[in-house]
Amino acid sequence: MSSELWQTICLSLGIAFIATLTALAIALPLAHFNARSRYWGKSVIEGLLVVPMVLPPTVVGYLIIVALGARGWVGQYLHKWFDYSILFRPEGAVIAGAIVALPLLYLPTRAAFAAVDRDMEDMARVLGANRLQLFWHVTLPMAMRGLTSGLMLAFARALGEFGATVMVFGIRENHMTLPVSIYVDYEQGDMQQAAPAVGILCVLSLTITLLYNRSALSRQE
Amino acid sequence: MMKRAISFLLACLITSAACAETITVAVAISLKDALSKLAAQYQAATGERVEFTFGSSGQLATQIANGAPIDLFISAASKQVDDLAKAGVIDDKTRRVIAGNALVLIVPPDSKSPSESVKALVRGEVTRIAVGEPRSVPAGQYAVQALKAAGVADAVKEKLVLGTNVRQVLDYVQRGEVSAGLVYATDARIAGEKVRVVCTIEEKDHEPIIYPAALVKASKRQAAATRFLDFLVSEKGQAGLKEFGFTPPPVQSNQQAK
Repeated sequence: MSSELWQTICLSLGIAFIATLTALAIALPLAHFNARSRYWGKSVIEGLLVVPMVLPPTVVGYLIIVALGARGWVGQYLHKWFDYSILFRPEGAVIAGAIVALPLLYLPTRAAFAAVDRDMEDMARVLGANRLQLFWHVTLPMAMRGLTSGLMLAFARALGEFGATVMVFGIRENHMTLPVSIYVDYEQGDMQQAAPAVGILCVLSLTITLLYNRSALSRQE
Repeated sequence: MMKRAISFLLACLITSAACAETITVAVAISLKDALSKLAAQYQAATGERVEFTFGSSGQLATQIANGAPIDLFISAASKQVDDLAKAGVIDDKTRRVIAGNALVLIVPPDSKSPSESVKALVRGEVTRIAVGEPRSVPAGQYAVQALKAAGVADAVKEKLVLGTNVRQVLDYVQRGEVSAGLVYATDARIAGEKVRVVCTIEEKDHEPIIYPAALVKASKRQAAATRFLDFLVSEKGQAGLKEFGFTPPPVQSNQQAK
């Protein structure tokens, strides 16, 4: 395996991993909260969390650039004060990946929290568990299956993200994600060069899907 | 309602079939504004319709090689046309150079420490340099040649951001996302105030920038495509290209084509 391909794989996996963690940090508290509470504006919040599932990635890319690019709403100040712009940086790819992965993590996690037996929680509370202990030792373990399948799907989605990534992360030699490298090779008319990356993505995606199916099926039994 | 919708769709199909003489031209994106205007003039004068697909020359060549229904290909470098000719996809006998161009170094207008030459791109305050993806974007090929000629190609390698076509490079500079970029003189001209041209790269520092055009062998509208190509090299077509800052095709390349 060539060192460039290796670098591309590592970068892709790294970005997808951090993007999934980022999505987790957003999805976990919101899923827990939304599964148990009703409040005004909840449907709007939930809509925003889930909309990236149907939103074209190019729209996500556009919005990131308009918000955080060197001439963006917030980005112009970051650019002026810190000489910072989100473009061409791994953070941009992480944000893009996290946004598109968010719904796939949020939906199963919220469903899992909603399905947690409240009586068990009450028992734990009676036995003197504080809120953190309750969440960590009772609620989370019972919601773990939903969360795990959400994490798997989110990771797979972040790994496969192309549209927003190519807009925000751009194309730089030795700084490409696997999907971007496939596109660049295709543009050069070099289908053979793209083949290893295509193969790797197929294998990775298939593996994750198999694992997901297995955990989803075992839940039904 | 349904019936009406179906008959409407059918009508659309039939009218589009009736306009079968519309030719499709794959054009290097640097020619976009000039050719759009020329095609409008051409249509007004002759009634013949021309549709375009714009992209980097490499991207377009890939599409044509894979059987895209294109009648005429206009590239921003010889390489892509050579490759297609070698593959037997285009008719090399129809090849004509329609224009020339120059390469310029540009920076965002509000750039605090603009690099005054290609050599100065090695300096620390130049963090990112946009060029076309050199394997598929001719402007990138020329840019890399210019960087090599200035002896800085290796030193700036890590700073390079690759655009999928030259207009994306222009856009990166316009938006201030990069410290500098290498584009065609005609692109910088279109951007106007939004970019500042630092210098024009000397011709000897890169291959001659020419736009060769050739007919695609599989095209069923060879005659119509030839007429449009004739128009582009005619006095009127050349005047239109000049208006956008393109240089006339080098004499040498014209003779070579004939």
